[in-house]
Amino acid sequence: MTENVLTPVTQALQEGALSRAELKQLMRRSNRPGLLRLLFWVLLLVATSAIIYLSIGSWFLLPAMFIHGVVLVHHFSLQHECCHYTAFKTRWLNDVVGNICGLIIMLPNRFFRYEHCDHHTYTQLVGKDTEMIELPDTMAGYFLYLSSYPYWKSKIAEMWRHTAGRLTPEDKRFVPREEYKTIILEARLMTLFYSVVLLLSIVFQTWALVWYWILPVILGEPVMRAIRMTEHVGRPMVRDMKANTRSNHVSIPMRFLCWNMNYHAEHHYAASVPFYALPSLNQKLKGYIYTEPRGYVGAHIDIVSQLIGSKPRADVIDISEDDEPVRFKI
Amino acid sequence: MGDPGDKWLNLIEASALEKGDVTAVDIKDYKLAVYDTFDGIFVTDARCTHAGANLCDGYFDGHHIECPLHQGLFDCKTGEAKAAPVVKALKVYEARVADGLVQIKLA
Repeated sequence: MTENVLTPVTQALQEGALSRAELKQLMRRSNRPGLLRLLFWVLLLVATSAIIYLSIGSWFLLPAMFIHGVVLVHHFSLQHECCHYTAFKTRWLNDVVGNICGLIIMLPNRFFRYEHCDHHTYTQLVGKDTEMIELPDTMAGYFLYLSSYPYWKSKIAEMWRHTAGRLTPEDKRFVPREEYKTIILEARLMTLFYSVVLLLSIVFQTWALVWYWILPVILGEPVMRAIRMTEHVGRPMVRDMKANTRSNHVSIPMRFLCWNMNYHAEHHYAASVPFYALPSLNQKLKGYIYTEPRGYVGAHIDIVSQLIGSKPRADVIDISEDDEPVRFKI
Repeated sequence: MGDPGDKWLNLIEASALEKGDVTAVDIKDYKLAVYDTFDGIFVTDARCTHAGANLCDGYFDGHHIECPLHQGLFDCKTGEAKAAPVVKALKVYEARVADGLVQIKLA
């Protein structure tokens, strides 16, 4: 596809929300903010791991694993930033860190990059957005999604499929033919890595893998699912980025954890703007994009309100006064 | 400077280019990206070969142009696709500066 498309950043420039000079300034890259944050990130991981170590044998083990898990699942945010090459100025550094993050949360970096590209092309468009999270039908569906069961089921099936050398027609829609082998090799290398780690754990008879990695990730993933829901779920299913994406005002610790990805609409407008410049972009786009002032909690109040019928559902539109409303379904 | 029979299309005054950056030029049916680099002026198609985004709104590091939509990468001097998701090269035009004007050679 090479036809001319109006990307969100071009639209923002044309509509005067942002000047070219401002955009160029915001897109400037540096390794320093990413490396500095990564240093604190590693220190945080050491601290939360230490809490688990000190909690073994006490009632606090489960809460400690949850706290560590919340940090672990936020490797998604760092990987996401790396996949846009905006965590670090040096491109290969983004690839290395992105792949490490992918191993931690079982998200193949190369495949995620292609999938995520399509998400940026077709944000919130039914049948096209590869990462679309459906607005659940019921509260039961809402809690099922938050449990992360559907997420892990889908990811494990995907990993198994790629390791077996198969790509679905859906995969082939966004992975170029030249990259099929790379995607399969990536999945096989990851499976090999997990197998070796598991084997070593058995040989050395250690449960560290379970206490410090597997269980924390399982316990923490619902937090990541809840955050991912705030980005687009419950927003109109239209191409207009001013409407289809939700930014959230959140606390400084949350901004640290999510690498400023709470500025989600800003990120979709200008995906080449690095994470550390997103707060400045937020100031420039104030009033132009949709922002949830109550943060993640407010976003979920909005979503739940649509589920229980106290607000119109975003996936239902009235096409005319005479016709029945149309429901978008994935 | 080439054969006298060559046809050159005037694009923009060289002094009007964004220094060390990429400048968009729309002329006739051409949508072009003009790069001001340490090694001279280079001109490519302005549209990404992957999804058609306007590369002139992307990040330029003086050698590579990054697509603003998916962060695919092209070498502005050769047009070579350097990083996923782009796989197809960008069209590069033979360019020169004559009488203060950036020109491309018409095929």
